[in-house]
Amino acid sequence: MRRLALAAFAAPALLAQQSALDPAGPDAGAIRALLVFFVVLLGALFLLVVAMTIIPLVRRHRGIDQEPLERTHRPSANTELRLKAVTGVATVATIVILFGLVVLSVSVGKATSSALDRTNSMVVEVTGNQWWWHVQYANDDASRIAVTANEMHIPVGRSVMIRATSNDVIHSFWAPNLQGKRDLFPKHITTEWFQADRPGRFRGQCAEFCGLQHAHMALWVVAEPPAKFESWLAHQLEPSAAPSGDDQKHGQEVFLNNACAMCHTIAGTGAAGQVGPDLTHFGSRLTLAAGTLPNSKGNLAGWIADPQSVKPGNHMATVPIKPEDMQPLIDYLESLR
Amino acid sequence: MSTRRALDVSGLPPYYISNQSPLFLGQVLLCLIEGSVLSILIATYFYLRLGVDAWPPPGVRLPEPALPTIALIPLLASCIGSYMASEAAKRGDRRKMLLGMSLNLLLALVFLGIRAYDWGSFTFRWDSDAHGSIVWAMLFLHSYDVVADLMMTAVLIVIVASGRYGEKQRIGVHVDSVIWYFLVGIWLPLYAVIYWGPHFVGVSR
Amino acid sequence: MNPVLTERPIDHSQDLAQEEELAKTWHNLRGLSGWLSVTTHQQIGMRYIVTAFVFLLLGGFEALLMRLQLATPNNTLLGPGGYNRTFTMHGTTMMFLFAVPMMEGMGIYMVPLMIGTRNVAFPRLNAFGYWMFLGGGLLLYGGALTNTIPDAGWFAYPPLSGPQFSSGKGVDVWAQMITFTEISAMCVAVELIVTILRMRAPGMSLNRMPLFCWSMLVQSFMVIFAMPAVMIASTVFLLNDRTIGTHFVNPAEGGDPILYQHVFWFFGHPEVYIIFLPALGMVSSIVETHCRRGVFGYPAMVLSLVGNAFIAFGLWVHHMFATGLPQIGEAYFTAASMMIAITSGIQIFCWLATMWSGRIHLTAAMHFVLGFIFIFVLGGMTGVMLASIPLDLQVHDTFFVVAHFHYVLIGGALFPLFGGFHHWFPKFTGRKINEKPGKISFWILFAGFNLTFFPMHLAGLNGMPRRVYTYSPEMGWGLTNLLATAGAVLIATGGVVFIANAIQSRKFGAVADSNPWEGGTLEWATSSPPAQWNFTNLPVIKDRYPLWTERENPGIVTGMRNDRREVLVTSTLDAYPHHRLVLPGSSIWPLITAVGVSIGLAGSVAAFSWYYVATVLGAIGLIGWFWPREPLEIEP
Repeated sequence: MRRLALAAFAAPALLAQQSALDPAGPDAGAIRALLVFFVVLLGALFLLVVAMTIIPLVRRHRGIDQEPLERTHRPSANTELRLKAVTGVATVATIVILFGLVVLSVSVGKATSSALDRTNSMVVEVTGNQWWWHVQYANDDASRIAVTANEMHIPVGRSVMIRATSNDVIHSFWAPNLQGKRDLFPKHITTEWFQADRPGRFRGQCAEFCGLQHAHMALWVVAEPPAKFESWLAHQLEPSAAPSGDDQKHGQEVFLNNACAMCHTIAGTGAAGQVGPDLTHFGSRLTLAAGTLPNSKGNLAGWIADPQSVKPGNHMATVPIKPEDMQPLIDYLESLR
Repeated sequence: MSTRRALDVSGLPPYYISNQSPLFLGQVLLCLIEGSVLSILIATYFYLRLGVDAWPPPGVRLPEPALPTIALIPLLASCIGSYMASEAAKRGDRRKMLLGMSLNLLLALVFLGIRAYDWGSFTFRWDSDAHGSIVWAMLFLHSYDVVADLMMTAVLIVIVASGRYGEKQRIGVHVDSVIWYFLVGIWLPLYAVIYWGPHFVGVSR
Repeated sequence: MNPVLTERPIDHSQDLAQEEELAKTWHNLRGLSGWLSVTTHQQIGMRYIVTAFVFLLLGGFEALLMRLQLATPNNTLLGPGGYNRTFTMHGTTMMFLFAVPMMEGMGIYMVPLMIGTRNVAFPRLNAFGYWMFLGGGLLLYGGALTNTIPDAGWFAYPPLSGPQFSSGKGVDVWAQMITFTEISAMCVAVELIVTILRMRAPGMSLNRMPLFCWSMLVQSFMVIFAMPAVMIASTVFLLNDRTIGTHFVNPAEGGDPILYQHVFWFFGHPEVYIIFLPALGMVSSIVETHCRRGVFGYPAMVLSLVGNAFIAFGLWVHHMFATGLPQIGEAYFTAASMMIAITSGIQIFCWLATMWSGRIHLTAAMHFVLGFIFIFVLGGMTGVMLASIPLDLQVHDTFFVVAHFHYVLIGGALFPLFGGFHHWFPKFTGRKINEKPGKISFWILFAGFNLTFFPMHLAGLNGMPRRVYTYSPEMGWGLTNLLATAGAVLIATGGVVFIANAIQSRKFGAVADSNPWEGGTLEWATSSPPAQWNFTNLPVIKDRYPLWTERENPGIVTGMRNDRREVLVTSTLDAYPHHRLVLPGSSIWPLITAVGVSIGLAGSVAAFSWYYVATVLGAIGLIGWFWPREPLEIEP
């Protein structure tokens, strides 16, 4: 039934990968259940109101029960009494139903914010920037803080806490398959919990208008079995892969000798820029430019050659790369797995 | 039929100088509007305070309450002038109208003078920090309203002094007092918030 | 001293003489300077209506641009900057330059007619309010001509709208335009409250007043308490942060962007009810006339209007559920946001009861009322969903919300407005509007509206955020967006049919007498269109529907002077005659004052000192406005 609704309006390729209608965790699941309940109940009430609007038209059409009002413009006392009773009942019913919905909403609200085992949450710090996501895995041991960008891996079955802030304007973190959204503010921390109950790739997108490229500020939440996640996290902590072969070595030189290193970090090299996304394990990511393009050599070349044509107005400088340097640079970056 | 029901209002006066005048109600509504503005600013003051640890921010000296407290005297006294003028307007007593408005204007100017002097001692500007911004916003808006009302009083003085005035202008004099009472009244909570507030909400948490 | 009703012989020649005298007294000067110095409420009301309608068309054009851009994935009709400016202008135009002024215009035109008086309480203030509204519109669209266009959305959240992230003067123009429209709204609010409370016809106690007047009265109080907040948010906070370095909502040094949201939405939520309440009043006028009976449950209707207004001030945080405020506080706003459905619901029930027990005449106006019920109630249902925090956190800032607010705004305000146009067309123009094209325009608008906005619910649930200039094909949003654009074209078509019908009917429609619908309220006692002075004899009221009960022997007021613009001031609750009031005639000073203030306010976009220019020029204008004129003494 849900698939039918989705299929009616979604192309198969990305079916349900950014949808509140296809929950992958308990929070989104509870919300969807609440949604279905609301839609069914309120939909029925809506149809009732429509019916009550159409029936008098039908009665008029059939000439039923038309009181002569032309002189008095006032129906009989009997009619008024009956109308009073009906509207009174309708009003009381409305109050009761709404009260019930308030109670229901508040309890689901409490459930989706505290039902999970929050004490054992994994903490991920998310920082919004115009127009990309900085992602960092919190750890008391400073040497074990993994940094990445525009992609977040989480273990299935464990609750995750986002500690979110912004470096510039208000953004909003929203991965609808998993949870509702949470706004990101500068100089201020907001928090949210969610959990994935099945593995999968779930797309999220910034949901608070943040300027020119608000439309292209997405990220991927990849839920993996715990063991796979641990190995991913451990790998993220390692420095970047050393270039193999002349081609990649040349590519690394191109990176370090151009402006790239001023904005980007590649751990284990001299590049330590903090302005743009961390590229240490860039090659292993699903997309580039915050979910705008799939991560492929061709797309990467187009992006580096002319970032403004992909995301007009974005803050990445157009660094002129000589044609003979481009392929090695691409090869090197894609080797950073 | 050849007759109809008629209500003869020719015996009613063509003007009314009291709180029954429509202009009076209009003026009260304007005071409600301005009161809403200043109330939101008061709420903002406390909201901004609660958002930081130290209030006022480090390095900023709190505004001293001594001078503005003294300034309350001419301010409250100026209401006497307003009252005198508005009552005189009802009776059509030109001398008392002029006396009352002049008294009001004079005492109000004394008040403004003390206020201006007080501002010179502030260690913060509107662009220093959040505290400076909200305090200056309240002071500027209130002062602006006061100056605007005093300009109106001054024009009324000129008109009444010229002798060239009638009932409409008398209604104006009468209603002018409403604005003044309001501006005096709204200053009291503003004054309390700006000069005494920090002592009660704590300098630091 | 209290006047008493007596029987008087009818003297038609006296009535005629009276009309001639009134015509001279209420005659508006000819020529350009005459047009610029008008202070009669019918003209000013019509100016508001026509000007607001032009802004509706401009806002609609912007909407079409948006829909064309979003019709297909990765479209290149508008780039990100162009799209951002377009949706900002669309929202700003519709909310500030169309919706509120339009409702104000309908109020200014209809209220004096419905309460049985000749003009509003402060005629020159009325003119001033209109010029300020026009000035604000000219400022915003004048900026468009010089490429100074705001692009931070119609509510312009900082820090994005702050000095660091929005360069140029676009946001400054936006912020100051709000001052114009807000001054205008306040003028109308003061105008309507005083007029309604003090100038009703003798005998029109508050419980005999038409529901439309109640809605304008309640709405005006809402304006008084809500509009100051938007002035503070846009001018005191945002504009000053941008131009003189204050730190209200700028996170550097203690400012708080959430403060902006609180203060803005403290205005923003009542704002939509400010738009909505007059529409509810219009629905009552239409339903009772075209169902031939007074609206059922008048006291409940009045209490619901008042309740709506009060509760509306307690909802604003529901725009901020995603900001991470404490849950306990947020839960209160869930309750209030759902409870307001009760006061709206009661009114729907009363109208349905009226229809069930009345004799329905399915005019074009009634069609729009039926469309209102369908669309608004659906929008109200999604509103109840949005009140629930967990649901809201999924659909907030998505196309689901876009769908919701268009359902309640277009359904709740625009459809009743179009119903009002068809209902009062004979009164405005003296001609009957052609019913058939009217109904056709309804069906096109109804179909187009639902086609545009219903699919958006699904797009939002399937992940489409608001304010995105494009999207990629793999997201699967293509079909819903294409349908929505097709619907938008239909809406435009329906609009064209309506405009064509209005123009055609105005020129060639059947001549209408004073009461073509056989309505019961006082506006139908005047000629169509009304004379400048509205009523030759001011009425005395015994009943809620004077034209239905007193057709044979209406009471009248005598003893007013007709050689000057005189109206009757009555007591607040029961409308006992209290005194007579002489109103000013035409005056150019409201315009001069408005021009002076406008120059200053427009300049303040560049530098703070221009506020002083506004003050000086405004003061000059006001001195001219209030300078004593002959006759100085008001004779009885």
